[in-house]
Amino acid sequence: MHKFIHKLIDRLPLDFRILYRQFLLRVVDLEALSIQADVVGFLGQFAGVLIMLSLIHSLVTYIGFWVFSAPAEHLAFCWHMEHYLISTTMLVIGLITVVSWDATFPDRRDVMVLSPLPVAPHTILLAKMAASAAVSGLAILALNVASGVILPLLLGVQPGPAWGFIQSLAAYWFTVVAASAFLYCSVLTIQGFTSLVLPRRIFLRLSAFLQLAAFGLFLGVYFAQPLLTDPVSLADPRNHWVLASSPSYWFFALFNQLNGSWPAQFSWLASRAWIALGLAVTGAASSLLLCYIHTMKKTVEEPDLVPGAGGLHCLSSFGNSLQTAVALFSIRSLTRSRQHRVAFAFYLAFVFGLALSLLRGEMAAAAYSPVSMDLLISTFLMMFFAVAGLRNVFSLPISLTANWVLRTTQLRPSEDYVAATRRSLLLLAVVPVWLLSFALSLRFRPIPHVAVHLAVLALLGCILAELCLIGFYKVPFTCSYLPGKANIQLIFWGFIIVMIAFVVPAAQFELSALTVPLKAAFMLSALGALFWALWIFNRHRAKSAVIYFEEIPDQVITTLGLSA
Amino acid sequence: MLELRNVSKRFSGIPAVDDVSFSARPGEVTGYLGPNGSGKSTTMKMITGLIERSAGHILFEGKPIEGDLIAYKRHMGYVPEEPYLYTHLSGAEYLTMVAQLRDLPARQSGARVDGMLRLFSLHDDRHASISGYSKGMRQKVLLIAALMHNPQLILLDEPFSGLDVASSLVLRSLIQELAARGKVVLFSSHELDTVERICSRVVILHHGKLVADDSIERLRSLMELPTLEQIFSQLAVEQDTESMARQIADLIHA
Repeated sequence: MHKFIHKLIDRLPLDFRILYRQFLLRVVDLEALSIQADVVGFLGQFAGVLIMLSLIHSLVTYIGFWVFSAPAEHLAFCWHMEHYLISTTMLVIGLITVVSWDATFPDRRDVMVLSPLPVAPHTILLAKMAASAAVSGLAILALNVASGVILPLLLGVQPGPAWGFIQSLAAYWFTVVAASAFLYCSVLTIQGFTSLVLPRRIFLRLSAFLQLAAFGLFLGVYFAQPLLTDPVSLADPRNHWVLASSPSYWFFALFNQLNGSWPAQFSWLASRAWIALGLAVTGAASSLLLCYIHTMKKTVEEPDLVPGAGGLHCLSSFGNSLQTAVALFSIRSLTRSRQHRVAFAFYLAFVFGLALSLLRGEMAAAAYSPVSMDLLISTFLMMFFAVAGLRNVFSLPISLTANWVLRTTQLRPSEDYVAATRRSLLLLAVVPVWLLSFALSLRFRPIPHVAVHLAVLALLGCILAELCLIGFYKVPFTCSYLPGKANIQLIFWGFIIVMIAFVVPAAQFELSALTVPLKAAFMLSALGALFWALWIFNRHRAKSAVIYFEEIPDQVITTLGLSA
Repeated sequence: MLELRNVSKRFSGIPAVDDVSFSARPGEVTGYLGPNGSGKSTTMKMITGLIERSAGHILFEGKPIEGDLIAYKRHMGYVPEEPYLYTHLSGAEYLTMVAQLRDLPARQSGARVDGMLRLFSLHDDRHASISGYSKGMRQKVLLIAALMHNPQLILLDEPFSGLDVASSLVLRSLIQELAARGKVVLFSSHELDTVERICSRVVILHHGKLVADDSIERLRSLMELPTLEQIFSQLAVEQDTESMARQIADLIHA
C-alpha cells in the first residue's frame, strides 16, 4: 500500500509536488519557530488532541446508546449525537479554514517568488488546494477516527438490512466530508468574490475583519444554537427559522436521509444541504479560477507603500516608557498580525461563546435575575480563557530576526520587563473581560452581590496574570516558539481537569459567601493575600531572571555535575 | 576608546573570529574590512553583546563591557548588516518604540525622530508600514534608531546598503562629522572606495584572523600599492577574479 501511494505520488508533476510540500508546511508559520522545532511532532500533538476527543465521543456514544433504551429517548440520543458529531466536525474545519484564511489565494510572496519561474498558475492553485485539503482531511480523519466507526456500527446493528452498517458508515463519512467541504467552499467563495470586487488594499483590510467575523460566527453558532434533535422540536413551527438557517441541521438531515432513517416531512432540510453544497462548491471553484486569472496581476501591480494613519499616538501612555513600549507593541502585534489575531480571536470567540451559551436565559429575561452559578461560572471561565489565551499568544513570536533591537536596547533590569509584560496582560485580557463581565452583570441583582463578584473577578484576573508570569521572562511576541516543549496534550487535558475541579466548587463557594458578609470579606481578603504573595514572589524571582529570546529544548541528558 | 583584546569566537569548534585585537579611538573612523565570511559581522555582534565571545576581552573606555552592560548599551548605537525590523509597525512607531526602550524623554525623542525623519526624507512615509519600505528606507530607519540617543560608540555594519546616491553622500559626511565630534566610529563595509575616503584607519580580517591594522597611508607606503582596493586584494582575496568570472560564464554556457 505504502509503495502504491508512493508510486502514485511520483506520477504527479514535480513542480506540483514541491509546491504542495511548501504550502503544506505553511500551516505552521516556520519563521516563528525555534531552529530546533519539530514541526511534524507539533502537528502530531494537535492530531493527538483530536483523536482523544474522538475516543471520548465514541465512549459517550456507546454508553448512551445502551443506557437510553426507551424508544423516544433512544431516538433523541442518537439524533443528538449525530448532530453533535457533525456540528463539531464543522466547527473544527471552520476554525482550520479561518486559521489558514488566505492560504488558498496567492499572496505577494507567492507572486514575487513564483511569477518569474516557469510554473503555471493552475499548478500553484492545485498545490494550494491540495495542501489545504490535506490539513482539513487529516483533521476530519483524526476527529472521527473512533466516533465515525462506533456511531455507524451502533446504528447498523438496529433491526434492518444486513448491510446497515456499511450504509451508515458511508452516509456518515460522506456527510462529514460534505459538511466540511460546504464550510470551506463557502469561506473561499466569500473571500474570492470580495477580493475580485474590491481594490486589493481595501480587501486586505476588510479581510482581517471578515476573518474575525467568521471566527465569532462559527463559535457563536456552535455554542448558541438551540438543540432541536427530537421529532417534536423539529416539527415545531417556531423552530422553523432556526432549522432553515443552521447548516449543521441541514447536514444532520442529509446524514439521516442517506442512512434511510429520516422522516419524509423533514426532507426539505436535506435538500437544503444538497443545494448549499452545490452552491458553495460552484462559488468557490469560479471565484478561485477568477482570482488566479485576475488577482495575481493585481497583487503585483499594487504599490509597495501604502500610506497609513497616525495610529495610537494619542493614546500612547500605559505607564512608564518601557511599559508603554511593550503594551503598544503587544496591541499592534495582536491587531496587525494575522497569525496572532487569529490565535487570540480563538480564545476571545470561546469567551463570547461560553458567555452566550451559559447566560442565554438570563439575558433574554425581562426582569433582573439573581446572581447565579451561570454568571459566576461563565465569568470565571471567561477570565481563565482570556488570560491563559493571551499568555499563549504572547509566546508566538513576530519578526524574530528583528529582536536584536530589544537586545541592544535592554537598558533596565529584568524585573522592569516582567512588570511591562504584566501591564500588557492586565490591559489586554483582565480589563476587557472585567468590563464585559460588568456589562453582563447589569442584568443581575442585588447590586452588593454583583459588586462583590466583580471584585472577586478582578482579583482572580490579577492572580491568573501573576500565575502566567511565573517563569515567563520574555517580552511578548519576541521569543522563538518551540513546539513540543509545551506538551499540548498535557496542557489541554490538564486545563480541562483543573477548570472542572476548580471552577465549579469556587463558584459554589462564592455563591454561598455572597449572602454572608463575613464570609465574603474573608474570601476577598484571601484572594487579595494570594495575589499579593504571588506578586512578591514574581517580583523577587524577576530580579535575578534573564530576559530570553530563544526557546531551548530541555536537556535530554542530565549531568551529575561531578566534574570540577 | 573601544578595545578588543585577543577576541575569539567559535561555532561548534570552528573558529569564526580568531584572536583578534585592535582598538577604535574617539575622533577616528575605523574601517573594518574583510571578504564574506571573514568574521566582520560576528565581531560586530560580539561588540554589541548580541553574541557571547569564546575568548578575549572587549573594553570600552578602559572597562570590560560586561562589567556594566546596561551602561555600555546606553552609549552604543548599532546598524546591523541586514535591515531586520518589525515590519508590522510603521517607521514612526518603530522609532518611537526604540526611543521608549532607550528611556529617552518623550518630547526630546519626538523632536529628534521627527527631525531625522525629515532630514532622511522619510517624513511623508512615517505612518506607512515598514513592510512596504524599500531596502534604502529600512536602512534609514536603522540609522535613525542607532543615532537618536547621541551615542558615544557607533557601530555601522554595511550602513550604505540600499541607500541612493544622495543619501549615501549625506551618510558619508555624517560619519565624518560624528567622528569629528569625538565619537568612536567602527565602520564595516565592502565599498572600499568609501572606506578609503572616510576612514583614517583600517582593520582587515581574513578567515577570522587579523591581517592588517594601520592607517591607510601607512599601508599604502608599506605595501607599495596605490589604492585600498589593491591592498585589500593582496591581503584578503585568494582567487584570480578574472579567471573565476570566466569559469562561471563557461559553466552557464555549457
